[in-house]
Amino acid sequence: MEEEEEQQKHEQASACDSNGTPIHVLAVDDCFVDRKIVGKLLEKASFKVTSADSGKKALEILGFSQDKVEKSSYNDQKIDIILTDYCMPEMNGYDLLMAVKGNSNVKSIPVVIISSEYDPQRISRCLANGAEDFLRKPLQHKDLQKLRSYVKPSAPVPKTGTKRKVMLELIPESGTAETRPRIAGVAVA
Amino acid sequence: MEVGQMQRTWVEYTKSLFMEGFLDGQFTQLQLLQDESNPDFVVEVVSLFFEDSERLLNDLTRALDQQSVDFKRVDAHVHQLKGSSSSIGAQRVKNACIAFRSFCEQQNSEACLKCLQQVKQEYYLVKNKLETLIRLEQQIVAAGGSVPMEELSF
Repeated sequence: MEEEEEQQKHEQASACDSNGTPIHVLAVDDCFVDRKIVGKLLEKASFKVTSADSGKKALEILGFSQDKVEKSSYNDQKIDIILTDYCMPEMNGYDLLMAVKGNSNVKSIPVVIISSEYDPQRISRCLANGAEDFLRKPLQHKDLQKLRSYVKPSAPVPKTGTKRKVMLELIPESGTAETRPRIAGVAVA
Repeated sequence: MEVGQMQRTWVEYTKSLFMEGFLDGQFTQLQLLQDESNPDFVVEVVSLFFEDSERLLNDLTRALDQQSVDFKRVDAHVHQLKGSSSSIGAQRVKNACIAFRSFCEQQNSEACLKCLQQVKQEYYLVKNKLETLIRLEQQIVAAGGSVPMEELSF
């Protein structure tokens, strides 16, 4: 029990960006129980949480507007990272990933997929299409530190001595996520 | 019953729920998430689980009662129930759902009906256990004590 509490304290201190602002997570899950648990887990670790019960709702929050007459402002809620369940009706986590990565206004927001099922093809497909990681449900404390690591800093920071450095060398000038090569099943640390 | 006795009863009862496989470590995770800012967190989550599960069990009963069973729909409901039971640590319900899904894949109506009975049985058992546990906790708190989480190392 003590070890768990220590780990929680460590994570509370770390769930902020370089400016000390809490990292803002958009947590997407159609299951009410899971939204409540993940929301609490993130809040306790000092993340800021906005929840959505569907991919469609998540896109609305991100500023995708059906009203094409009025120009919607993308990501005015300043979401730093999207954490989405895979299995959702109508629009699943993969569909949401593709929608986000297909829109130049929001494609730089990291997307992490969570699922209760281990499906290697599903995992490969998500990682190959720009997902930062694919985590198993139920989410644990150790997963939260990974979320922190996927949030991009506001100014580019050279990364040394990690797998990410190799990846960066292959990225063209524009730094678009979808051209970054992915090895299935490898989460960049 | 005095507070100390109630606390000892709570510890023994909680331990038995883990030993008998009704609950797993995920339930402990929920208990650890509860704090002064949200002292009813476990009760709230468990209540949501009860509502969600009973709705799903009704949907499953209806779906399996059809002339022509839509196994994809049945599987989708079982998948949801498996997910939420896993999230709160209701291990035996989760395991019953895993078995159920394999029969959905085989499109075996008779086996699915048996699985549904099994899932219902496990669900009502764990519901009863959790309600007892929550009542014990409320009695401890009402008597001015606190729930001795630290006694649960095993």
